[in-house]
Amino acid sequence: MLSYIARRLVIAIPTLILVSIFVFVLQKLLPGDPALVLAGEERDPAVLEFIREKYRLNDPILYQYFSWMKAMLQGDLGISLRTNLPVTELIADKLPVTIQLAVMAMIIAFAIGIPAGILSAVRKGTAIDYIANFVALSGLSIPNFWLGIMLIMLVSVHLGWLPASGYESPFVDPLKSLQTMIMPAFVLGTALAATLMRHTRSAMLGVLKADYVRTARAKGLLENVVILKHAFRNALLPIVTLSALLFGELLAGAVLTEQIFTIPGFGKLIVDAVFTRDYAVVQGVVMCTAAGFILMNLIADVLYFLLNPRMRSSL
Amino acid sequence: MPTEAPDNAPQNAPVLEVQDLSLRFKGAPANIVDGLSFAVRPGETLCIVGESGCGKSVTALSLMGLLPRGVARVMSGTAIFGGQDLLALPQRALADLRGDRISMIFQEPMTSLNPSYRIGDQIAEIVLRHRPVTRTQARARAQEMLERVKIPAASNRLDDYPHELSGGMRQRVMIAMALANDPVLLIADEPTTALDVTIQAQIIDLIEDLQKESGTALIMITHDLGVVAEIADRVCVMYAGRAVEEGPVAAIFDDPQHPYTIGLMSSVPSVGPRSGRLATIGGMVPAIDNMPDGCRFAPRCPFAGPRCDIAPPLAELGPSHRAACHYAPLESAFAEAAG
Repeated sequence: MLSYIARRLVIAIPTLILVSIFVFVLQKLLPGDPALVLAGEERDPAVLEFIREKYRLNDPILYQYFSWMKAMLQGDLGISLRTNLPVTELIADKLPVTIQLAVMAMIIAFAIGIPAGILSAVRKGTAIDYIANFVALSGLSIPNFWLGIMLIMLVSVHLGWLPASGYESPFVDPLKSLQTMIMPAFVLGTALAATLMRHTRSAMLGVLKADYVRTARAKGLLENVVILKHAFRNALLPIVTLSALLFGELLAGAVLTEQIFTIPGFGKLIVDAVFTRDYAVVQGVVMCTAAGFILMNLIADVLYFLLNPRMRSSL
Repeated sequence: MPTEAPDNAPQNAPVLEVQDLSLRFKGAPANIVDGLSFAVRPGETLCIVGESGCGKSVTALSLMGLLPRGVARVMSGTAIFGGQDLLALPQRALADLRGDRISMIFQEPMTSLNPSYRIGDQIAEIVLRHRPVTRTQARARAQEMLERVKIPAASNRLDDYPHELSGGMRQRVMIAMALANDPVLLIADEPTTALDVTIQAQIIDLIEDLQKESGTALIMITHDLGVVAEIADRVCVMYAGRAVEEGPVAAIFDDPQHPYTIGLMSSVPSVGPRSGRLATIGGMVPAIDNMPDGCRFAPRCPFAGPRCDIAPPLAELGPSHRAACHYAPLESAFAEAAG
């Protein structure tokens, strides 16, 4: 088990290096010069030169890459050109927001998607199945930003039940935090619920035909035990993998949703950084996101491993 | 081979009595099982024999209430078990009987156990479902059952997952599970078809031994006449969804009366000098959308005549020996032909 995790971690290293090269090169290929942005309206050549020297923008590109990598390994992601704050600090600031949003969205997605998927598989071909599929398809088709705007208009503007935007840490004011986050989490969660529902349904349909489900019925087990204990347990594998990947995507930040609800998360951070050519921030956030995604993949693998007795005993 | 007809003894009321069972697949123009009747008495082994697709397995599944929903349904008939009609029982009441009074083992041992749970837990589960026992007691029962089905080092095997066992071992686990609550009736649907030949014999012997030990009535569904010869008390031969002949095993083997049974018997290879090719029955089982109105075997039957346009009833030929053929008993048919 541990050796399995270790092996997966080792495999993750080249992936991360590859990501870092891509991030670095792509940034250099982007049109626009950060020094110009920083120098402001005047663009005094001396100032420009000073900025280029200060941020090592004149160094050879390979040198720039390796010094960036070296600093990163020491936990230093550089200084934001725009805010003059360390990138690690910015990330540490935004990450909890994004994690909170992702966790809430996942909970909503699970609460809707999995029961709906099981139900529509068990009641395949009935009205329940068709309705669930229709709703899921709608959930997939409706753009997040549209649903977000509609929710703000209805719930915040017309009904005045929830604040339209803003953010509060759950450690400062849990209730207010929940109030500000519930709508964006719902917007993200419903879209994921649709994906989860479709996958749960197809996994369950496959498993419900299995001989061991018939055995479970032949044992006289009640239908809900047959479905939840014997069928769903075996449908879990693809669902777990999918969920981990979806969560990884959520961690990358929901750009549009965060923008609409003005949530100070990862998505907003990276958009702002790209627009202001804040190299260090973009690089830091992308590296962080990639690492998060790789971590979620690893967690998916480990869960897969734990859930599958056949794999467990193969090591 | 026990061939005494136990139905002469009046105290031997049938464990299960199926009357006029008809099943149909959704959208099919004819019944896949048509007017099937049979009975099993306590401790008796009834073999239901027939080619694949003749309706043996759906019959078993219908008795268990396990027909796939929306795929096949019961058109008519009763199946009286312990004073109740299995075919009319609500799902919940049927679930209470399943795995307790009636158990079933299946054809596919490789896939019939849940891959995610330990076999000890899977056996204990059926005990916990039907008996007021603690987990510890259920586990002890699981171990006892594994010992009874002769799994070596049973106590070490309880925590194995199905994939750690061979096909034969898995079928033993299925048998252990099926018998854990001492059912009155065990239905075995081709339990050895998927196994190696050497293992097949072991499993059949095991089922036979356990049945003798426990006095359970057994319905063995098979197309293997070797199995029939070894364990059957009575045989019900099915063809295209109907019972064509039924009787004590000796009568079926030594004095088959239905042309299909005769064909079936002569298509079994025997040891010894070979006289010509192995007999086969020409033609194929009629498709469900092309069922003859009369005798369903008529298109393949060498004796078929105009009479066969009308379906023959199962006629009594001897002590509890019945055949559904206008020409049975054959002696009279020959006499008729001669005269």
